[in-house]
Amino acid sequence: MASSAGSSDAILVADDIAVRFETPEGPITAVDNVSFQVRPGEFLSVIGPSGCGKSTLFNVIGGLLNTHDGVVTVAGETISGPHKSIGMVFQEESTFPWRTVTDNVAFPLELVGMPKQKRVERARHFISLVGLDGFENRYPGELSGGMRQRVSLARTLASEPKILLMDEPFAALDEQTRLLLGDKVLQIQQQLKQTTLLITHNITEAVQMSDRILVMTYRPGKVKRIVDIALPRPRTSEIVGSEVFGRYVAEIWNDLREEANRGMRDEEKSVLRREEQAS
Amino acid sequence: MAETGRLRQAAVATPLISQVTLLRVAIILGVLAGWEFLAHSGWLYRDVVPSLLSIGRALIKLLSDRNYYFHLGVTAVEIGAALAIGGSAGLAVGLLLGGNRFLSKAFEPYLYYLGPTPKIIFFPVMIMWFGVGPESKVALGTLSCFFPVALNVAAGMRQIDKVLIRVGHSFRASTWQMVQKIYLPAMRHPIINGVRLGFGFALIGTLLAETKLSNKGIGFLIIQTYSVFDMPGMYAMLIVLFVLAIGANALIGRLGGLENIKRN
Amino acid sequence: MTMATSTPAISRRDYSAPLVGLGSFIACLLVVEGLIRFGLLNRFIVPPPSEIVMSFGRLFAEENIVHRFFFTAGECLLAGVMVTICGISIGVVMQRFDLLRRACETWVAAFASAPLVLTYPLFMVIFGRNAWTIIMMGFLAALPPVILKTIEGISGTRKVLVNVGRSFNLTPAQQFWKILFPAALPTIFVGIRLGLIFALINIVGTEFLINFGGLGQLINDLAERYDLSGTYAAICFVILVSVVFFIALEKAERWLRPVD
Repeated sequence: MASSAGSSDAILVADDIAVRFETPEGPITAVDNVSFQVRPGEFLSVIGPSGCGKSTLFNVIGGLLNTHDGVVTVAGETISGPHKSIGMVFQEESTFPWRTVTDNVAFPLELVGMPKQKRVERARHFISLVGLDGFENRYPGELSGGMRQRVSLARTLASEPKILLMDEPFAALDEQTRLLLGDKVLQIQQQLKQTTLLITHNITEAVQMSDRILVMTYRPGKVKRIVDIALPRPRTSEIVGSEVFGRYVAEIWNDLREEANRGMRDEEKSVLRREEQAS
Repeated sequence: MAETGRLRQAAVATPLISQVTLLRVAIILGVLAGWEFLAHSGWLYRDVVPSLLSIGRALIKLLSDRNYYFHLGVTAVEIGAALAIGGSAGLAVGLLLGGNRFLSKAFEPYLYYLGPTPKIIFFPVMIMWFGVGPESKVALGTLSCFFPVALNVAAGMRQIDKVLIRVGHSFRASTWQMVQKIYLPAMRHPIINGVRLGFGFALIGTLLAETKLSNKGIGFLIIQTYSVFDMPGMYAMLIVLFVLAIGANALIGRLGGLENIKRN
Repeated sequence: MTMATSTPAISRRDYSAPLVGLGSFIACLLVVEGLIRFGLLNRFIVPPPSEIVMSFGRLFAEENIVHRFFFTAGECLLAGVMVTICGISIGVVMQRFDLLRRACETWVAAFASAPLVLTYPLFMVIFGRNAWTIIMMGFLAALPPVILKTIEGISGTRKVLVNVGRSFNLTPAQQFWKILFPAALPTIFVGIRLGLIFALINIVGTEFLINFGGLGQLINDLAERYDLSGTYAAICFVILVSVVFFIALEKAERWLRPVD
């Protein structure tokens, strides 16, 4: 459980997070004893197999899940609900189908009562940032999946959060779109110097975009290892082909393989258990 | 699909008037002809099936009678009030039950099972509580339309894409902002459907109450034509009533349909 | 709106919610009883629930409520049989002839939303103030859902089943009776269920309005005699009957549709 980040200048601190659930099959510990820190401007990925509690962690940090042990602080303040310094981008389709792209992106600005003129202007800026110029007045239904995720991203960025928290935002997209969007996110992050915490199961994505990668074990999710990614910045998706990239990916897969296997065996066992109970 | 299809298909002439329209016109003409035949056949007691001419005359007389519009207004106001009260109560209760699983499990079964019951039988109670004036009719209409609206809204809330609610929470929207900017827009289709159903039930409830005990309104007029055996008049009134009811229903549906352009 | 994402323990069937519901209902009755006894609510407008409960006995002994129940049930049964035969037949014909369907289906749907029951004065002229008017009201109200669901059920047969029939070279008649119709039965039954409920509602309502028949007429009678607690009790009885009928139809549908 080594942490290689400095502690005094961390903008996000997760301290000994543990989450337990009651299920019909008994209590399970989704996440246990997770601690880490994020520096301002840093891109940290959290990677792990399915069932390692990544999404649980996402909900804890985002303030949507408050029944947990441990403390999360943002710029010194303890989180007890969604915090104004944290912006969340969800895995599922989350654009509002009844609003135009502009109205979607302006949503957080509308909530704080920004006047219409200013909202639209500000929204335009972020729509442009994600590369959707010309689509301001379209509805999400008219856009592709990748474009809709960009709208969601622009919407979150429009609230100008200190920390951008993303839960597998590209999971539903094909590999090529994913790589290109990853490029875009990287570009934006580097431009805005946006502190970013990315939850993912995709190793390539994590290595491509991160400064550090936190590898989690299978349930109960603990911090297995934190890897420093010493690839040069600024980066683009071209780096995916390099040898050094490949080595990082291999290293992390090594860590993950064991956990992923445990996960698979566990799933098979629970299916058999359910069949026994039903019969 | 367009290019290859065009190459392969032989030219199909699109008829000026579609077959469907022709069939509909044929059916209508057939019914009218059969009606007129029955009217003049003398088989039925006189005027049970009046001639189309007499019905037409009664229609004109009805639509040019200032008094009729007064009664129409009374009924319209009653239905409007019933829909407003019953509809907003249904909306509020539906939002409450749809948003809270415990409350839903505790109380929604009552709405679900008490909904499909005859409401007109409550009319004597309404008269005792609200008197013989329009209030009792409005009360019955309200009772009738409350249930479908509440059930539709509750179901609609549960069908909202959960992620949209989490988006709202992640941006720390207040409860009122959540309702106004997320819940209601996300539920516009179930709400419109609920209002459509509610309107239909409010209409029926109010009108039936008027036929039972009233001295104003369309229901009262219909019973009047019955008591004086003015059959052409009754048919005329029923025709106008049905046209208005079906028209209003289609209008509300269209309002919901207009939203379709925005929806994906 | 609470945002708990961790689920509470529900290992056995949790009866706390239904109990709260039932408890609130009983609590309301007790509150009303109390308000009346303390004179805050006029007992000549709202009789005490205890009195209403006691009137039930009277309904059974003096008012022939059982006999009336069977009368109403008989009307419903007749309307139900008529609507099943006519509704399914019309639905089958409409589904078979696509042009007819395209022309008339929207008309049927429009009549489903129209206030058909308001034609009861017309039927009173035609049939008189008797059971046939009542049965016709039930029949007409139940017709549209049966027709629409029959059409929906038959056209909704999964394509693969139709292809199975074609692969066995079935004649159109065989195709219909052996594949399409059986596959459509669950949906058709949904239509019949809806139709029967509408029929009951309209039959009881019409009995009340024209002051003839079984249960509906009883309510009207008691109301005109200013028998307050009797009226309330009769209304409760009718509501109870409707609810039981509805639940029975639901169970019947589930029995008919074991795989879903």
